[in-house]
Amino acid sequence: MAAPAILITAFVVIGGMATALAQSLGLFPLVGPPSLTVAAYAAQASDLPVGIGLSLAIAAASTVVACLVGFTAALVIVQGRWCGKLVAALGTLTVPVPHIVGAASVSLLLADSGLLARLFNAGGSWPELVGGPWWIGVVAEYGWKESAFVALVVTGTLATRAVSYDETAALLGAGRLSRLRHVLLPLSLPTLTVSATIIFVYSLGSYEVAWLLGRAYPEPLPVMALRLFNAATLTARPEAAAVAIVTTLLSFGAVAAALAYLRRSTLWR
Amino acid sequence: MIPAVRVEGLSKSFPGTGAPVLDDVNLTVEARSCTALLGPSGAGKSTLLRAISGLERPDAGRVLVGGQDMAGVGPEHRGMAMVQQRPLLFPHLNVLDNVAFAGTVRGVAKRAARADAAGFLELVQLAGFGPRPVAALSGGQAQRVAIARALAARPAVLLLDEPFSALDPELRSVMHDLLAQLRRSVNPTVLMVTHDRSEAAAVAEKIALFSGGRMLQHDSVERMYSRPVSLEASRLMGGANEIPGTVRNGCHHSALGALRLPGDTTWPPGPGILLVRQESIEVGPGNGPGLHATVSGLRVLGPRRLVSVDAAGVLLRAEIPWGRALAAGDTVTLSIPTSALAVVDDPDTAHTFPGAEKRPQITVQGLATLASIDN
Amino acid sequence: MALTLPPDSRTPLSWPVRPGNGLRASHGIARTLRVLLALALALWLVLPLVPLALWAFADRWSFPAVLPQAWGWGGVRAALAQGAVPAFGRSLLLGLLVSAVATPLGVLAARALAYRRVPLAPAVNVLLFAPLALPAFVAALGLNVLLLRVQVPPFAGVVLLLTVYALPYTSYTMRVAYGAHDLAVEEEARLLGASAWQVMWRVQLPLLAPALARAAFLAFLVGWSDYVITVLVGGGTIVTVPLLVAAAAAGTGNDATVALLSAAALLPPLVLLLVLGLFGRRPRSHQTNGDVK
Repeated sequence: MAAPAILITAFVVIGGMATALAQSLGLFPLVGPPSLTVAAYAAQASDLPVGIGLSLAIAAASTVVACLVGFTAALVIVQGRWCGKLVAALGTLTVPVPHIVGAASVSLLLADSGLLARLFNAGGSWPELVGGPWWIGVVAEYGWKESAFVALVVTGTLATRAVSYDETAALLGAGRLSRLRHVLLPLSLPTLTVSATIIFVYSLGSYEVAWLLGRAYPEPLPVMALRLFNAATLTARPEAAAVAIVTTLLSFGAVAAALAYLRRSTLWR
Repeated sequence: MIPAVRVEGLSKSFPGTGAPVLDDVNLTVEARSCTALLGPSGAGKSTLLRAISGLERPDAGRVLVGGQDMAGVGPEHRGMAMVQQRPLLFPHLNVLDNVAFAGTVRGVAKRAARADAAGFLELVQLAGFGPRPVAALSGGQAQRVAIARALAARPAVLLLDEPFSALDPELRSVMHDLLAQLRRSVNPTVLMVTHDRSEAAAVAEKIALFSGGRMLQHDSVERMYSRPVSLEASRLMGGANEIPGTVRNGCHHSALGALRLPGDTTWPPGPGILLVRQESIEVGPGNGPGLHATVSGLRVLGPRRLVSVDAAGVLLRAEIPWGRALAAGDTVTLSIPTSALAVVDDPDTAHTFPGAEKRPQITVQGLATLASIDN
Repeated sequence: MALTLPPDSRTPLSWPVRPGNGLRASHGIARTLRVLLALALALWLVLPLVPLALWAFADRWSFPAVLPQAWGWGGVRAALAQGAVPAFGRSLLLGLLVSAVATPLGVLAARALAYRRVPLAPAVNVLLFAPLALPAFVAALGLNVLLLRVQVPPFAGVVLLLTVYALPYTSYTMRVAYGAHDLAVEEEARLLGASAWQVMWRVQLPLLAPALARAAFLAFLVGWSDYVITVLVGGGTIVTVPLLVAAAAAGTGNDATVALLSAAALLPPLVLLLVLGLFGRRPRSHQTNGDVK
């Protein structure tokens, strides 16, 4: 019964990676005979390290922001009462916002003619948040939307178990901070690790936010890949595939590292 | 310093539920004693325990520990520990670190906290279980670890919320022995919630009986059985015999005749329901001295039998050991020791709780006899 | 991955904490700080969407005015002129198709996995979750050539890829639901005389309905929100709302159009979320009464 799901997933995942790999190695050219070559990787050898570094930095910064804000929000939600309900409701509303819409809206908020610049009446002195050298807009968009994701996922974990453990710890003499450090944080850690991995991998391999809110150079890997893919020269296609393969390797590496950490660090499950 | 616990006028209700969960509860628990909070589910006993621990804030009333008002004192500063029905061992810590938890959060050095914890594991007969993950424990072992963890917090007051109800009967009596042994070595003030009368009697010196958010009676185990203060208390303690009649001059007059009441209490004259435990009624051969009755039914209660008899038109129940053959229709004599008698004046509530219609009814003949006495 | 979604999107608006709970009591400065923190978080969550509301009906809003100077329907007209209505229809169709395919496939896979009828279950699990680790643009970029060569229509290709990217969510949601589903209830129904078919329709389906609704919603979101797969596999022929938003946002001077298209893109998911919140709720399993065990 699982066959249809398995078959189409295998086709897309394995087929997608195989065709991308084949294209990057020159085995699937648009014109001319196929020939095994690493020329595509060599052609981008100078830009790839910059792209890798930038992509990793954006993904890491977004993950940190999302996890910090999201975990705090989860704690506020778990406290209940109207504060918690408000944050929970807004978080729930944020989750289904498409990233492209989030990016468009963040641009209207943070750009030099955006809402914040108007509010603070900054005139010409508004920092270059969108399209600037620090990729603030991109990180803000990922951090914003993914913090809602973290908040809801962690809340889901804490909801089922945290209240009773929290009470038990309090009766054993643990104050607020002790309970956070010794009970709530360790209980949420596996969930936080999984969400952090998902966010990291997503912001590493996602195109539209970085494209819309970023700058022309340097480029994160997905932006670089799509620019090459759409380039007029036919030789650029294998190069786009090469960038895609590099992104895939980074992504799988991050997942593998996270799984290894989870397996090593948790006593239970 | 082990303190007494005192509860004054405690009330609590939850929004959306009609009747209050706790209704003006007053209770004093002596230092180093063990008191069982007994009652059917929904009686409010767990909420009382949570209010004493500080997990629940009462709507009215106060909790005093050693004479000190606990209002505004957080659960973590009350010097209490609680063991609940579920052991709630922290899944991210192994057995030893669970027991060492209280020390860790108090800032005791890891090594010292663990050494201390190992001692408590030994006390609950789980020495050497320290490095195991908590998922590898059986139900009884997990509950023992939970007790060790609570005791390692050095609580002045130990709160137990149905701690053994998820365990099977043999294991439960082992845990009762363990608790008695722990009380000899550590001896905190213990409050234990249970819905099991025999567990309350086995573990505690005193029982506080709850129903519908009110405390009905707080007394020694023995008096809870022999001298219930109301019909409701008697029924909750499992009493099966209620004989309406009138009290005059220290005697209860009913269809059974005049029965002398215990002399240690003054029994107010007037209408009153005579209560006598089914375990206290002795059933003898038909030709012996005492009250004559006819066996109307027999029910097997494992090692004992419940005999229903008709005595002068009143249905009585007696719980007797196996022995002499008995059959419906046999004539027997009943003897009821004076010390086993008690009278409550509670006609209004007699029909107000569930199961009232299943209680022994007065037959027409009995009622006629009663009428003749009263006149 | 095409989207990050919490697999269990039940709105956590009600909480198992009883009112008057002693652990959650706070006074004075602590309470003020807590309220401020909650308000700051609320602002963080809602602020990025504020410009949409302001810009959507602003005809003139020149810098540095804090609020629009003239309200009107200019944005609406521009959005309609760019084909917002057909794009909206295409997006809707895409979301519904992905949901209609990915939900049953996820149910079947989850059922087979939950009842242990799958050989090599660990490998199957890894495979079903693999789309989470594979960037969507890689699969789209790689398969693009293949799909063109075997002449799969672009729209079918987009649906195929998005379905695969929705499957981790649908299969995981249903896995959790089947995990919590008590088979003893179905056995009881059989003993009471229900046929296998009746058990399926009268017992299993109602019990799993909330999870099914969630799975279908998540799959719809994957189809509705996608940008990169539609662009690459669709080859520019399939213009959906996200593509219009991207095109408008990449240009300059049409902020009102961007805001209006974005707001339009928010509507269906929010409506569905509300419907899910109102009707997709599981019956409360326990009453928070006095003696909760």
